[in-house]
Amino acid sequence: MTTTQATTAAAGDTARPAVAFDQVTKHYGDVRAVDGLSLTLHPGETVALLGPNGAGKSTTLDLLLGLRPADTGTVRVFGTSPREAIVAGRVGAMLQSGGLMDEVTVGELVRLACALHPRPHPVSDVLARAGVAQIADRKVDKLSGGQAQRVRFALATAGDSDLIVLDEPTTGMDVTTRQAFWATMREQAEQGRTVLFATHYLEEADAVADRVLVLHRGRLLADGTAAEIKAKAGARRVSFDLEGAVDEATLRDLPFLTSLTVSHAGPAAAPGHHTVRIQSSDADATVHALYGLGLYPRNLEVAGLGLEQAFVAITAAEEAKQK
Amino acid sequence: MNSLIKLELTRALRNRKFLFFSVIYPSVLFLLIAGSADATEKIDGTGLTLPTYMMVSMASFGALTAVLMGNSERIAKERESGWVRQLRLTTLPGRGYVLAKTASAAVVSLPSIVVVFAVAATVKDVRLDAWQWLALTGSIWAGSLVFAALGVALGYLAGGDAVRPITMITYFGLSILGGLWMPTTTFPGWLQDIARWVPTHAYAALGQAIEQSRAPHMTDIALLAVFFVLFTGGAAWLYRKDTLKA
Repeated sequence: MTTTQATTAAAGDTARPAVAFDQVTKHYGDVRAVDGLSLTLHPGETVALLGPNGAGKSTTLDLLLGLRPADTGTVRVFGTSPREAIVAGRVGAMLQSGGLMDEVTVGELVRLACALHPRPHPVSDVLARAGVAQIADRKVDKLSGGQAQRVRFALATAGDSDLIVLDEPTTGMDVTTRQAFWATMREQAEQGRTVLFATHYLEEADAVADRVLVLHRGRLLADGTAAEIKAKAGARRVSFDLEGAVDEATLRDLPFLTSLTVSHAGPAAAPGHHTVRIQSSDADATVHALYGLGLYPRNLEVAGLGLEQAFVAITAAEEAKQK
Repeated sequence: MNSLIKLELTRALRNRKFLFFSVIYPSVLFLLIAGSADATEKIDGTGLTLPTYMMVSMASFGALTAVLMGNSERIAKERESGWVRQLRLTTLPGRGYVLAKTASAAVVSLPSIVVVFAVAATVKDVRLDAWQWLALTGSIWAGSLVFAALGVALGYLAGGDAVRPITMITYFGLSILGGLWMPTTTFPGWLQDIARWVPTHAYAALGQAIEQSRAPHMTDIALLAVFFVLFTGGAAWLYRKDTLKA
């Protein structure tokens, strides 16, 4: 098999996906947590796994890390089973449910993580990078939520792993810590590592990931850049004012339009003064067609929707389809 | 895995409460029971004085405490906290966690045996041959593995809240019925019949055979072997079940 795909990974790995799910299904009793999921992560990508609670994010990560076996389908990590990839030291992971050993110090715990990794980083580097060097002598059971998260991050980055998996990593962190965390994470990605993180802080997916996977009811709902995901949900807002008579039906026929509101409101509203708000999945084409109608829109504004609104729109559309 | 054993040990040695109960407490109990005993009076049918007899019982009790009490509760707690999951994301082999726990318990159980011996020898003038001291230490130490396996099994059997009472009941049941606190010869006949099948009874009987300079009963050895297989098998089965649950 040959592939022409360009990746940033080390030589020898260019043809091999970092992670490959093929038709993976996982049930808990009657509940289908993961439902025929197929996805491929390429080396060097930073990927956000996005979805509401119960979408199957954590189960997907569990399957990826070999913590649970798949009912059907295959999960491969760097071409091997998840467990083999972990034993080879290729995967570092930080789980939401990942507890810490208590009654030991932060430094002792990080030293253990380094000792267990086949290609460890120096303990002092790991402590410093995770921002826990100052609390290295503190007992693990005396940490705040945010500190414990940083210790988990230290464990996940104790060695030279090629894939870093993070399940809602910034839970419990304050804003400053969160920013510092993502700066560290970008550093990891810049060194050519593949990073996969699950999050419900959607601005994080938008700001950090080069690719966003939207998961809903155990299935992949959308896969693309944050910009593409927004576009998929009709996620640009166009607004303008129109003078004179407005034919709503004509406006409604504009290409790529997904919603339309026309209002007469406004503090200095003269008769025949309208404000039009449109959501469009291709704002350029919509605006072009608008001029094509011979209209003269004033105060034209085109703005992106946040990923959050895009996400709500995508999942709502999916739920409507299923009803 | 050595790094995990080392860290488990560091932690165990740092825990004063645990050290007190597994290392000091058996010796204190020995002095309470054997302290006022007449050093010439023999226990029925054993030919051993009370201090000599109780020394083995209390050394066995100390080893039992060290391997049973520490592990079952810790394992249950660390399963719930997710530490066990986190460890599964390292190169540590699946059984490594359990083996490290058992190994560190075994290291703590050794001083609890030796301290009882030292107290018995210095305070109650228990005198044995050098080979007997060595054989006693070895057999009690090795025998504690049976109960270490039980501790692991309990840790995987019960959750964080239930594990303490279950462990306590098992611990006191084994200690009392096995005759570690008082010779089973003081029990009524029907209870003696039950006690004969309790693994701690066979465990202490090994040590007492060494004190009497005779070979241990094959039934005691067989009984311990059967329980070892049962507990290890149970622990392995529960461990696998827990792993599939993730």
